[in-house]
Amino acid sequence: MRFQRVSKAVVVGAAMALALSACAPGGSGTDPKASESGNTSGNGSAELTNSGLADLGDITTKDDTIAVSVGAPEFISYNGFTPNTYSTYNSAITDRMFAGFTYTGTDGALYPNEDLGSYEKISDDPLTVKYTINENAKWSDGTPITVADSVLAWGVQNLNLNEGSKEKPLFNSVSVDLGDTVPKGPQGDIAGKEFTVEFSAPDPDWALQSWLLHPAHVVAKEAGMSTEELANAILAGESDKLKKAAKFWNEGWNTNPGTLPKEEIMPVSGPYKLGSWKAGESVTIVANENYYGTPAATKQLNFRFVEDAAMVQALQNKDIDVIGPQPTVDTLAQLEALGDQVAIQQGDTLTWEHLDFNFRGKNAFKNLELRKAFAMCVPRQNIVDNLVKPLNPEAVVMNAREVFPFQDNYEDVVSASYDGRYDQVDLEGAKKILEAEDAVGTKVRIGYSAPNERRTNEVAAIKSSCDEAGFKVEDAGDPKFFAPGGTQERGDYDVALFAWAGSGQISSGQNIYATGKPQNYGQYSNKEVDAEWKTLASSLDPAVHQEQIKKIEKLLWDDLYGIPVFAHPGLSASGSDIQNVRHTATQNGIVWNAEQWVRAE
Amino acid sequence: MLKFIAKRLGSAIGVLFAASLLLYILVINSGDPLKDLRESNADNREYLMAQRIDYMELDQPWYLRYWDWLTGVSKCFVGQCDLGRNINGVEVSGLLANAAASTLRLVLIATVIAAILGIAIGVLTAVRQYSGLDYLVTFLTFLFFSLPVFWAAVLLKEYLAIGFNDWIASPDISVGTSILIGIVLGLIMQMFLGGSLKRRALTFVAVAIFVPLVLQYSLWLNFYRFPQMGPAIVVVLTLLVALSGTAMTAGLKEKRVLYPALITVVLVLAAYYATFYLMSEPNTWILLGGLILAVAIPALVGRLMGGRLRKNAASVAMVTGFVGAALTVIDHIFRAWPGFLDNKGRPISTIGSSTANFEGGYWDHFLDNATQLLLPTILLAIISLASYSRYTRSSMLEVQQQDYIRTARSKGLSERTVIFRHAFRNAMIPIATIAAFDFAGLIGGAVITERVFGWKGMGEMFATGLDHVDANPVMAFFLVTGTAAIIFNLLADIVYAMLDPRIRV
Repeated sequence: MRFQRVSKAVVVGAAMALALSACAPGGSGTDPKASESGNTSGNGSAELTNSGLADLGDITTKDDTIAVSVGAPEFISYNGFTPNTYSTYNSAITDRMFAGFTYTGTDGALYPNEDLGSYEKISDDPLTVKYTINENAKWSDGTPITVADSVLAWGVQNLNLNEGSKEKPLFNSVSVDLGDTVPKGPQGDIAGKEFTVEFSAPDPDWALQSWLLHPAHVVAKEAGMSTEELANAILAGESDKLKKAAKFWNEGWNTNPGTLPKEEIMPVSGPYKLGSWKAGESVTIVANENYYGTPAATKQLNFRFVEDAAMVQALQNKDIDVIGPQPTVDTLAQLEALGDQVAIQQGDTLTWEHLDFNFRGKNAFKNLELRKAFAMCVPRQNIVDNLVKPLNPEAVVMNAREVFPFQDNYEDVVSASYDGRYDQVDLEGAKKILEAEDAVGTKVRIGYSAPNERRTNEVAAIKSSCDEAGFKVEDAGDPKFFAPGGTQERGDYDVALFAWAGSGQISSGQNIYATGKPQNYGQYSNKEVDAEWKTLASSLDPAVHQEQIKKIEKLLWDDLYGIPVFAHPGLSASGSDIQNVRHTATQNGIVWNAEQWVRAE
Repeated sequence: MLKFIAKRLGSAIGVLFAASLLLYILVINSGDPLKDLRESNADNREYLMAQRIDYMELDQPWYLRYWDWLTGVSKCFVGQCDLGRNINGVEVSGLLANAAASTLRLVLIATVIAAILGIAIGVLTAVRQYSGLDYLVTFLTFLFFSLPVFWAAVLLKEYLAIGFNDWIASPDISVGTSILIGIVLGLIMQMFLGGSLKRRALTFVAVAIFVPLVLQYSLWLNFYRFPQMGPAIVVVLTLLVALSGTAMTAGLKEKRVLYPALITVVLVLAAYYATFYLMSEPNTWILLGGLILAVAIPALVGRLMGGRLRKNAASVAMVTGFVGAALTVIDHIFRAWPGFLDNKGRPISTIGSSTANFEGGYWDHFLDNATQLLLPTILLAIISLASYSRYTRSSMLEVQQQDYIRTARSKGLSERTVIFRHAFRNAMIPIATIAAFDFAGLIGGAVITERVFGWKGMGEMFATGLDHVDANPVMAFFLVTGTAAIIFNLLADIVYAMLDPRIRV
């Protein structure tokens, strides 16, 4: 049979082939086993003194690539300051490329960025701040960073530069209020390094304003004008002259995925610049060799766009060195299973979960006594223990709204505003109140944006406790809770369960707790609270802010605006050979100090 | 025929138009495009919402928005497609080009492999109906078919990527493991080769002894980090192909077939040395050109020398030339492998289509792309293998019951001729329809596979667009997949008519 003949021939041939190749083993004879880089110091070799960037001493940029992923969304644009392009994923990359006068530490505290320059408040009334740009601060193309750049930053945040009305601003920017809060803009020699800004009203959050965004010389060149002409036109409010510049700023840096803008139009002021972009997969940023401050620790950072579900295995396979997934118990368990191959960073974030009462119409919770009864029966400790601690073992019940448990002033604020009366579930107390108010069987619809497994579980926990006290809790979770015409807008709920993301601003709470403000969803109104916020917002003295926060917290506790529950947990992980990866509570995410990351030898 | 095609195309455009209208309305009503802003506590939330409403024209009625989109798309007829921009201000046409390219790269090879292997398995299992092999393959294909993609991907990453990468750092196979592998392969081989009990036993014993020896020998050679082949083995293997090819077609005594095959072997050896430096750093065009020459020249030799048997001679020489060329390429890949390993210590990644900023020669890049493509290709292939093999099997079985097969057998035709000439061709008719559907579906991407392996393909574009209630990318996806579905269906109908003379249109 032919088949047999052939298979015999193949066997003979294979044996021949083996015999012929029996020359010698390949390779140089050394053991190819990769040497395991033993790193005993773990992540974070530097001493930490505060929540800001650690001092790493003298740094020389190491020729290496560290890959990081914070999520799947694609990089959008060099200009991440327009409403379309602004996203936390885009910012994770662009924030490495642009220096600001301040940066946020791991607990949300603001630190000056001394690499770029300095600032000081020189007058309280009117609020005037003087900014000084360092003499050697320059863009990566060598052009010095000057007041003109700050003028551009002011211009793009200025609604008064528009096409006829404020509805149609020239510059399509995410932040638009500087035109009104600082009417005259940065004052100083346009080609110089010093300027002052004068606020029209006291602004406790003055230090948060961005006074350096994009390179003015590039925008000017693309608009066919000199940098000076551009700055003068912005300062003079000459919208007509700025149309071309604005068009470039709005669109000129937006390219198709995989194509970067031309090198000469995208200089950077930060430690990294854009290197390459592989559409759909990754963006690589490269150390800016002209950086005037502390150089980046690692030459290349490769931002990969990876789904959360694929991150842990990619980390294990060393495809990625640092990951910032959405925190879930499953992800944590997978990471823990990797043992000492990875370092896990856990902790609180500046996003906090709370139960807000609805004060509209005839809602039952307009009655303070019922609010108290509800607060007594909500098992906050139980919720934290069962739903948050698995992700962050250090998690605690949150007893404040304006400060977080990990912040220094938390204890101070809480001890002044809250006596711990709702720490323990008090079913008897709640029952008594309900009976006294003749409100046994009061229906409580807890609304939230579904689907959200954790919130469903929270409501279940509240139901099992509060139903015993005499409430009738209903899970009113709805995908359209926040949608137009949805449950929240109609007011068809008694308690809203959701989270606010802390912005780091001192006065942002006014929008939530003061009468008639847009984020006061439950339409709460308390004249005392309004007044205290007014005092806070018009003061520039941190001591006053601190005092006001205590007062406001106390009022909100006594009057029960709502019940804070916990700070959301955060999770990230890095290969055990990567140093200086540090958890942060802020929305900047794990990449906040990426310029300090370095692979251990 | 022309009238038929024109009629089909006309109705296709109508269907596309109606479907696009329906889909557009469904998409823009599928959720709240401002959702992410509603829960935001930025002070300028209202402004941001106003900007987005203005940008996405959310304040316009649906028919105006659809009309905008339609006029943009209709410019395609004059070559200036305007598919609009997505929610982030990125042009959808650019997104679409990237997505389509990456999907095609991801899915094309897998689909071709799945089709070829699936059909082969289907034929084999049909010929050996109710044998152990049939049961095993049926079990496996159903197992693969029912695998959740996501879970299978995780397993593949765990063992083929992470496990392999750990192993390749210092390859080792214990004696016990080699024996076990030998036994398993032996069992599989005896099942595949079949025959009498004695033959099966012989096959099993031979494989069970041979494989462990080879494994240990390869370890001694450090083959997995420093694979080597060299010209000697290339020539020996090519010679084997030449000889067995000749034996199978005309018999070794037939000089008119044997000589062209042997000449081809000599040519392969000559080409190996002549192209050595060229092939050390080639490009894709050189490789393609080389492949064409490697097949064309032997074919010419075979035709010229084959005389009466020139058809046989040409095909044997062609196969020999092809194998020789392929072996030469593998030899160069082997040579590049140690350098590639130095460059990329963990060769198989779990994500992405190639290593970012990877530096190296042509073969390094080739290996980089190949190792990255390996896992998703395996995954997609084993999953769609099932449908091809099952359809082919049942189609083959049905055809084998037909009268004309019995007639062919009773004519005294060899079993091979009966199966391949008569049964297989007819069994392929229904498979053509499935293949057409499969290729049309292919461009739609594989959402889950793309996600778990970190590719941004068509499926991802669709899912992200829908998630943002962003009509433009979703409609672009629809435009491409809808058109592909219609065109491939049309092609299937035409191919049907060509394959089956009973069908006339």
